[in-house]
Amino acid sequence: MNPHPDLTSSVLHGLGWYYLILFTMNLLWTVRSFKVDGEFDKRTPVVGGIPVAAVWAVLSAILLMLSAAHFTGGSDPAKFVIRLPEWFKNPVDAFFADPVVYFAGSVGLFWAMIRFREWWIRESVAWSMLQASLIFMGLSLSDYDFRQIVGKPDNVPIVAMLFIVSFLTWIYFKRAVENDKRIADGRPLVGSDDNDKVLVWPDLVYTELICMVVLTAGLIFWGVALEAPLEEPASSVKTPNPSKAPWYFLGLQEMLVYFDPWLAGVVLPGIILGGLMAIPYIDFNKAGNGYYCFKQRSFAICTFMFGFFPLWIALIVLGTFLRGPNWNFYGIYEVWDVHKVKAANNVNLSEFFWNAPVMSSFFGGLPKGSSVLTILVRESPGIVFIIGYFALLPPILGLTILRKYFVRMGVLRFLVFSNLALWMAILPLKMLLRWTFSLKYIVGIPEWFFNI
Amino acid sequence: MSGQKLSTAEILAQIRGGASAPASQPAAEETSAPEPVAAPVVEDVESTQPSAPKSAPSGTADILASIKSGGGPAAAAKPAAAAPSGTSDILASIKGGGAAKPAGGKAAAPSGTSDILASIKGGGAAKPTAAVKSAPAAKAAVDTSAALGMSAAEMIQAARKGIGKPAAVGDSAETAKKPVALPKKALKPAGKPKPGAKQVARRGFLETCIATICSPIVVAWSSLVAATAVSSLAMARFMMPNVLVEPPTKFKIGPPTDYGGGTVSTKWKAQFGVWIVNSDVDGEQLIYALSTVCTHLGCTPNWLEGEQKFKCPCHGSGFYKSGINFEGPAPRPLERYGIRLAEDGMLEVDKSVKFQRELGQWEVAASYVPV
Repeated sequence: MNPHPDLTSSVLHGLGWYYLILFTMNLLWTVRSFKVDGEFDKRTPVVGGIPVAAVWAVLSAILLMLSAAHFTGGSDPAKFVIRLPEWFKNPVDAFFADPVVYFAGSVGLFWAMIRFREWWIRESVAWSMLQASLIFMGLSLSDYDFRQIVGKPDNVPIVAMLFIVSFLTWIYFKRAVENDKRIADGRPLVGSDDNDKVLVWPDLVYTELICMVVLTAGLIFWGVALEAPLEEPASSVKTPNPSKAPWYFLGLQEMLVYFDPWLAGVVLPGIILGGLMAIPYIDFNKAGNGYYCFKQRSFAICTFMFGFFPLWIALIVLGTFLRGPNWNFYGIYEVWDVHKVKAANNVNLSEFFWNAPVMSSFFGGLPKGSSVLTILVRESPGIVFIIGYFALLPPILGLTILRKYFVRMGVLRFLVFSNLALWMAILPLKMLLRWTFSLKYIVGIPEWFFNI
Repeated sequence: MSGQKLSTAEILAQIRGGASAPASQPAAEETSAPEPVAAPVVEDVESTQPSAPKSAPSGTADILASIKSGGGPAAAAKPAAAAPSGTSDILASIKGGGAAKPAGGKAAAPSGTSDILASIKGGGAAKPTAAVKSAPAAKAAVDTSAALGMSAAEMIQAARKGIGKPAAVGDSAETAKKPVALPKKALKPAGKPKPGAKQVARRGFLETCIATICSPIVVAWSSLVAATAVSSLAMARFMMPNVLVEPPTKFKIGPPTDYGGGTVSTKWKAQFGVWIVNSDVDGEQLIYALSTVCTHLGCTPNWLEGEQKFKCPCHGSGFYKSGINFEGPAPRPLERYGIRLAEDGMLEVDKSVKFQRELGQWEVAASYVPV
């Protein structure tokens, strides 16, 4: 008998409750939709003239039936039919287990989020996406390996974080798009009429009280329902496999895979903090102060969001759900096989360069020796690359595609800004180079503990 | 004064503006001197006036008022209830303070800060001549523009001194011409007889030094520095513990025959943090001791027999059996420890020395034992 069955009667029971909650949510939404949304356009084929709420009513009915099926089908879990098919799981695994595809996907999602912001801020669209993700999660929970990774007490807050981040982003875009429209029309901004001002007592204090009670209740429930993720006593001999940092440091841990510790652990975080502090001095755009907007500050907002979503949240998700034993990539439905062999023979840029056929025939391969001159000659391609990247790119950018910013910022501010941007870009660049070319270090001088 | 406390700002304003001076002091000259009156001054006054007739002075104004009364019978001449409304007033009475001074002293009507200072000098003197002499002295001081450079703090300090001091009256006029010397004198402990002006200046230097060294701020900071230094030394002492509970750096791991060809022994990983590897290196069969510390960030990698590699669970660094890094972020190979064949035929690992390949140290004979 399989010691790790995908479905057991307790899992089915739990999923029954899960779908029941979804049913309740959608039932309430149906009522709301009936009052607010009205009917489909009469000219639309098939559904013309039917209330929009009918769609949600159908979904609610399906969820209720799903729930009932899970509650009653517990007698023989092995024969239960509602589970994800292999033809679905395998491509999804392939998507998530390939870092290039995953990272490209997260950047694509980021682009779509901005490009289609006016579409997805609509309430029915957002609700549909929420329901789709919840149903996807419910179906995925029928998979043993997905349950292991998502249901781990350490990881439950990360799942919650994904929904919270999505919700807050949605709120931002909803207000920003509304304000953008008002600015374009010359109407006053949201909230500028002071209509939504409230009294501290009782409005604010009551709200805070309710929040406090709900949060406390949630924490108590959390503490009771989930076991503390305690592990065996620490031992110098046994490092847990995989060894993961706290969730908020998983982005840093991911950076450490691609950079030397002094760079990924000291310099890059320092630049992140210093860069965030420098923003007020770099920013020359006075618009958008004190109200939500997107169009007036699109460059600043996109830059920040790129650093936040693909380079931070996506890396936390990557570290939490996709990194498995031996720090290999695993799909979300994949078994965490300790012996999964993923050959990753990483090569330094100097080896690429000097061992290339042309260079090898002229100079006889990688320069050997440990004298200072030999080391510098060996690493010269990387050193040239780094100097070119940080010294030559800023002026080139300033004279070409970023000319507008250069003119408005002046030399010093532009140099600071462009170097910060280049530092930010070096992380995804290095990640992609590692994944595609197995590039270990651009400049690799282990003799001096200096690797970039 | 009772019931109405003046703030420091108000007092200052009154010091500056002669308008509010009482009638006994008509036309107090407005002093142009910068007067950064500070709280410490007030504290000084308080501490040196414990025996003020007014019990428990409860504010700056009170304190100044009690200075005025000077702890002496002068209070009678100027009853406290008269509510003196200016520091100039107060200082003026300090002049007469501490001594039963004839009203004539006040009748001389000192008309400015310089007056006051001059009379402070003479202050405390029980001689009726003081007032007489202080009046011309005041005029001299008025000419001396340097007097205007005195801060209120200095004035009050000077006043304090003047109270406790049975001054030599004859000097007052002369010293008034050198108002700069006043603060120095003020630092002088009260109650000492003063033989002569020139000797005072010489001895004053020494006394100033002593007073500076004994001043609270110097004492406080020196104590802090001393305490910090001592505790730093105590901390440094911790770096050299009496007993060091660490595993020995040299230990025997059995005969070479315990480690078969081509194997990686994890037997000593837990106890000593070494892997003993018997492997073919460049055509030579060697036994060497590899450190179990990953060269990336110091996690402990695992030996994977199936894949024949050391693999770190933290960031995925991988090392061949030889210890050479080939995957993941580890920048350099694992380190070797010293190993030798001891006289009794046992292998002995010496963890106090290490050999790094990237520095060419794996060629050193102490880093391996040929089989």
